[in-house]
Amino acid sequence: MTQLPRPRLLVITGKGGVGKSTVSAALALALARTGQRTLLCEVNSGGGATALLGYPRAGPELSRLDGELWSVDVRPAEAMREYVLSKIRFQRVYRTVFENPLVRAFLRFIPSLAETVMLGKVCWHLRETDGPRKRWDAVVLDAPATGHALTFLGVPQVLLDTLPPGTMAEEASWMRDMLVDPKVTGALVVALPEELPVLESMELAAGLRARHLALLAVVLNQATAPRFLPEEVKALAALPRLQALARGHAEEAERTQDAASRLGTLGAPVLELPRLYQGTMDQAAVAGLGATLLAGLEGRT
Amino acid sequence: MRPLAEALRSRGVVVCVGPGGVGKTTLAAALALQGAALGRNSLVCTIDPARRLASALGLAELGNLARPISAAELRAADIRLAAPVEAMMLDMKQSWDELIARSAPPQQRDRILANRFYQSLSSALAGSQEYIALEKLWELHASGKHQLVVLDTPPTAHARDFLDAPARVIDFLGTDTAKWLLKPALRGAKLGFRLVGLGGNLISRTLSGIVGGQTLADLAAFLLAMSSLNDEFQERARAVSALLASEETVVVLVTGPAAERREEAVRFHQSLLEQHLNVAAVVVNQVHAGVGPEEAAASTRLPEPLRGKLERTISEANSLAQADAHGVRVLREAVAPTPLLTVPRFPGEVHDLGALWRAGAYLVADATPRETLAAAAAAPGA
Ligand SMILES: Nc1ncnc2c1ncn2[C@@H]1O[C@H](COP(=O)(O)OP(=O)(O)OP(=O)(O)O)[C@@H](O)[C@H]1O
Ligand SMILES: Nc1ncnc2c1ncn2[C@@H]1O[C@H](COP(=O)(O)OP(=O)(O)OP(=O)(O)O)[C@@H](O)[C@H]1O
Ligand SMILES: [Mg+2]
Ligand SMILES: [Mg+2]
Repeated sequence: MTQLPRPRLLVITGKGGVGKSTVSAALALALARTGQRTLLCEVNSGGGATALLGYPRAGPELSRLDGELWSVDVRPAEAMREYVLSKIRFQRVYRTVFENPLVRAFLRFIPSLAETVMLGKVCWHLRETDGPRKRWDAVVLDAPATGHALTFLGVPQVLLDTLPPGTMAEEASWMRDMLVDPKVTGALVVALPEELPVLESMELAAGLRARHLALLAVVLNQATAPRFLPEEVKALAALPRLQALARGHAEEAERTQDAASRLGTLGAPVLELPRLYQGTMDQAAVAGLGATLLAGLEGRT
Repeated sequence: MRPLAEALRSRGVVVCVGPGGVGKTTLAAALALQGAALGRNSLVCTIDPARRLASALGLAELGNLARPISAAELRAADIRLAAPVEAMMLDMKQSWDELIARSAPPQQRDRILANRFYQSLSSALAGSQEYIALEKLWELHASGKHQLVVLDTPPTAHARDFLDAPARVIDFLGTDTAKWLLKPALRGAKLGFRLVGLGGNLISRTLSGIVGGQTLADLAAFLLAMSSLNDEFQERARAVSALLASEETVVVLVTGPAAERREEAVRFHQSLLEQHLNVAAVVVNQVHAGVGPEEAAASTRLPEPLRGKLERTISEANSLAQADAHGVRVLREAVAPTPLLTVPRFPGEVHDLGALWRAGAYLVADATPRETLAAAAAAPGA
């Protein structure tokens, strides 16, 4: 299968609740369905993105969902364990030290330690090989929400700035190099057609840029396409409930257009995903969103 | 039965809990307005209110300062209250600083405030935000300035984070952590917190290798200083727990109708009951309104393409409303006999006094009985 000229690590981020998990699941599914071995990677979120596709919630172990689609929920304790064992190699020491509840409480106080080991695991997956080729054609990262995401992605640089040369600094250095290489990593910022979420997305995009991450696209989720003309809304004056409905719809569409044009100034394509009207998302609905996204990313819209 | 009107009239404390983004802050403010309308001198203590809500409440900045909601603004929104109402925004950092200033011996105080780990206390110590909110609640309640205090809380996915907060903070500051750390570090402390103090055992050696010796020494210094907090601190934490469990206090669990929220809410509700808290009501916020058949019928008389467009829009609105009504039904069964109330999703957001007032009207209404669930999905007062 020929590789698309796109980064292998796709970082999905945005304000809380905008649809990051939905977009991550949709994109991972779409990529896997084109035959690319794809890892849907969650960060200590309880496996919700995987559940959106109708599979059991992802756990800390890699699991194959279907065909080329795999998933994992990277958890701090397990990531820490893998990291420490790769350094000290003694199970018994690990257990004595790191499974001590006091040590655990204590480690929580060390800023960025959890983020470092979790991001380290994500980066490690990117380097995994399977014979002569890389194991993963794509890693779709369902990243934390705005502020948290910037902290998360900025951890290697912070470590480089603060740590003396040594093991941790070396780790931080290769992690940072992967994140800032546009051939390896690209970010997708998810936004909603509402004032505050749009503002926050723009700040987030600026924050990503400041950390030298490439912005691949902005995803405008829950978009409403125009439907009612202004004169149609006016014509409904005698039917107040229906007029309110039509006006509400027209306002949604206007907010969508507004958001799209403001987000367009970020210098990356704005991909609109329609708002869906069904009670709970199922795999078919998510797959539809995924196909739209992939087409947009590949410029086939 | 009007469970929340009852609580606002007779209790001293209402705590709004629930998962992230469901509307806890909004509804806490709406409840305080209703409390004042029922004649009780009320206060809402908010946490991280959206900017526009804060300005509607007359709160320009943080600072733990209660300010009256402007009478002129209330009049302009046509809201008539029978008692004064105040609002404040909880400043987590300032509240912790005050707590430390009050509870730590003077010689340790600056050491704590200046330690870099103190800065990460709120993110690192699970329950510390919840704890400080409850601490503040105790203080506000004890001051007796208000007959009714409505407390907003930080988003908590698990009720335990919230309920166990005082116990956790006591545990953390309690003897075990300190003792364990102090063994090697105390010697170090005498030597001016040099690394040598931490080099003694396997745990310290291994940790130093991973996170660095200096980090470890600093952290030990911090915990050592924190363990000097006096008994008043523990005393207060116990008083906070007691207030939460007392007859004075009711809890309102706020949630949304979507499936993810629902599961969370049911677990949350269960834990609240297990801890013997008084759950006054479960509030399902942002329930989508549907379009009734009579209103929908009017569209059939319209010309195309308007008719088709409306039919599509009506069917979309109704599928959202149906999904939500189903969610409400499932939740109501799951939390029975705790009364359940619904608040419709308002067009736009709820960030002015008028909208808060309208949302509040749903909170003091009758609990939603089985038969009228369809009505819960009816149009919000436009
Ligand atoms: N295009 C869409 N149409 C309709 N509903 C959507 C759409 N995208 C997402 N949703 C719904 O919005 C809600 C939030 O989505 P999701 O969980 O993906 O957000 P998130 O950004 O991952 O949230 P969090 O910050 O809590 O992780 C879900 O109920 C989801 O089903
Ligand atoms: N019934 C409603 N109809 C429409 N919008 C609402 C309703 N209730 C709340 N909102 C809006 O939803 C958003 C979130 O509300 P709010 O800040 O009160 O939630 P929260 O539970 O306090 O969130 P957090 O967990 O982040 O503190 C706000 O923009 C608010 O205006
Ligand atoms: Mg998510
Ligand atoms: Mg809030």
